[in-house]
Amino acid sequence: MLELQGLSYVYQDEQAGYLFDLTAVAGSIVGITGRSGAGKSTCLELIAGFLRPDDGTLKAEGKDILHLPPEQRPVTILFQKDNLFEHLSAQDNVALGINPSLRLNQNQWSVVGQAIAKVGLAHLAKQKAARLSGGEQQRIALARSLVRNKPVLLLDEPFSALDSETRAEMLLLVREIVTERNLTCLMVSHDPNDCSQVADHHVVLKDGRFHLGSEVQAEQRF
Amino acid sequence: MNFSWLRRSPASSLPGLVAGLSLIILAVSVFAVIYSEGAGQGLTVDWAPVLSVLKMTFFQAGLSTLLSMTLGLTLAWSLSHQRVFPGRGFLVSLLSVSMVMPTLVAVLGLVSVFGRKGWLSQLADLFGGPGPGTFVYGLTGILLAHVFLNAPFVARALLQRLDRLPPDRLKLSASLGLSPWRQFCIVEWPAVKTSFYALSATVFLLCFTSFAIVLTLGGSPAFNTLEVAIYEAVKLEFDLARAVTLAMVQVLVCAGLVVLASSLRNDDGSLGVVSRVSLWPAPVGARVLQVVTIAIFALFYISPFLAVLWDGALADFGRLLHEAAFHKALVSSLCLATLSSALTVAMALAIGGTKRTLGSPLRVELNWGSRTLSSLLSFSGAIYLAVPSLVLGFGFFLIARKLTADVYLLAPVALLLANCLIALPFALVILAPAMEKSALRYDRLAFALGVRGLARWRLVEWPGLRREIGLVAALSFCFSLGDLGVIALFGNRDFATLPWLLYQKIGSYRTDDAAGIALLLLGLTLAVFFLVPKFFDRGGDA
Repeated sequence: MLELQGLSYVYQDEQAGYLFDLTAVAGSIVGITGRSGAGKSTCLELIAGFLRPDDGTLKAEGKDILHLPPEQRPVTILFQKDNLFEHLSAQDNVALGINPSLRLNQNQWSVVGQAIAKVGLAHLAKQKAARLSGGEQQRIALARSLVRNKPVLLLDEPFSALDSETRAEMLLLVREIVTERNLTCLMVSHDPNDCSQVADHHVVLKDGRFHLGSEVQAEQRF
Repeated sequence: MNFSWLRRSPASSLPGLVAGLSLIILAVSVFAVIYSEGAGQGLTVDWAPVLSVLKMTFFQAGLSTLLSMTLGLTLAWSLSHQRVFPGRGFLVSLLSVSMVMPTLVAVLGLVSVFGRKGWLSQLADLFGGPGPGTFVYGLTGILLAHVFLNAPFVARALLQRLDRLPPDRLKLSASLGLSPWRQFCIVEWPAVKTSFYALSATVFLLCFTSFAIVLTLGGSPAFNTLEVAIYEAVKLEFDLARAVTLAMVQVLVCAGLVVLASSLRNDDGSLGVVSRVSLWPAPVGARVLQVVTIAIFALFYISPFLAVLWDGALADFGRLLHEAAFHKALVSSLCLATLSSALTVAMALAIGGTKRTLGSPLRVELNWGSRTLSSLLSFSGAIYLAVPSLVLGFGFFLIARKLTADVYLLAPVALLLANCLIALPFALVILAPAMEKSALRYDRLAFALGVRGLARWRLVEWPGLRREIGLVAALSFCFSLGDLGVIALFGNRDFATLPWLLYQKIGSYRTDDAAGIALLLLGLTLAVFFLVPKFFDRGGDA
């Protein structure tokens, strides 16, 4: 469960600001679309803790999380690129999700192994991240979100650079994980088809605010 | 609301701030001590000779720059078109050596080849042609040496740009059937233009502050640069008032040049990958020009290296190695270079790191305070571009005189500090962008995962920066090893470095020993320059 109430943000050099109101329930995927610059990434960065809102509240599982630093928020975020440290192996990248100093015991390493197997890349566990394809890199990042085991999953267009077949696979994998783990997932995408494929709800960012997908589509018809 | 986590970096940026601040204080005190010394002396100086030195320095540096840049550009263009010939890789990697080559070693090599009894004159005798005479001394010698030391690294830098031209532009110009000259004007020149201007400013600054070359090849006071004039005023004529005037003029002119250069230096840095488009054969005329340029340059550039090798191989190392003065100089040089290298890396990392923190919205709140501190830090590193090593040494010399009766007690400290400060601007140019790139790429990820402190350094920074750290370590080691600027003021019987000992050997016509020392210096420089970065690059993979 994730609640944004009056979460507002204004960029220094811009006039218009953003005002986010949104409630997402566990086990569901909320697809967010909108033109570039509409504030999709801004919204996720506010939730992840990279930006500091001017006002408003942000709750996860009923608790206020605004005062927490990024790594302590009950949130995992996947970026469009650079989700992995390229010089580290795939399994080290996943292991960082358990211990940021990369000191794991045997049990924890086997958890890492299971997560990598879950995303179907057990055979590439020891490869350097730089050697993996774009799709494989995002799979490993998903595996890390599994071991981090945070209730909120934020996807900032992580699949937009992939070919359509790989993208469909990844979307199904996300759907499976969200349902299995009962996660709350916000998925930013520039492609409304992604949303219609796997999202339970669809919202559109326009003029700095969320609108229901159905409303906007209706508007556009006229 | 408590957002203290947004501003958690101040503690970690303290070393950088302290380093930056002390650099500025030091620079100000050097300037102040030189000025107050001058004021104390009454500054009743005859300006006519100062102006004539200034005029000559400008003339010499301008001509040197013109020649170096012309050759550098022609060579880079030729090499970018001639991709395949035996020894190309070797020649290209040898180009960057000119940046770290000890100037005195270069001078010895050039004299051996172009001197009155050098290889060229022997060749001329063989064929009965006119020999080079005293070509290697005076203005022609200075120009020759400056071109020898600067044109190669200009070519290297420009070649790097040309090699990374977007392939599509080359394909386009081929499909339009552009002549080599049109292609140069439309495709290649715009790509190297900014670098070319920035490099011109750098080369001019280097030639303007040239010391060892002018001291050894100039031959007559007529060709003195300000640097040499300062040295002679301090060491030979004990005319401190004159030295102070010269130093002030020097600092002011250099500061102006640095400001001018930094306004030119806006390299976009958007280097692509090395393009693998095979170039279509150019018209015969262009190809002949390219091949001839490369051949003549290779001959000109490589023969002094060979001369140093040849002369050094004939030296009596048995005797040299048993000489106590040699031992002391070798140990001093190695210790100084190692310490200076470590100190330079540490300072560059501290300053670069703090600068990066101050520029990142994820780490601090960006406001006028962070921006002011950030530009102050940039200034603290670049400031020493405007203070040539000899002026810096002179400042330290005056400070040391105030602190102790025996100036030479502080010589090692002054030398270490000066060498480090001279390398620092270069170190920052290499390290700061790499650090910023790493932050841009991995900051959010590292913050999201909580990778910080030592773990961040071990897992993220070190693997990403070790190549650059290795390069900086090697560069500053070589700069320190080959320096003849500061040691010229502080060197004496008890305290010498290898270049200083080499200078004395040349002065006392011990050419045999000089050749041995030159070979050793060249060998050390090459080994460190090529092996240390490799060592750093590999070290982290284990």
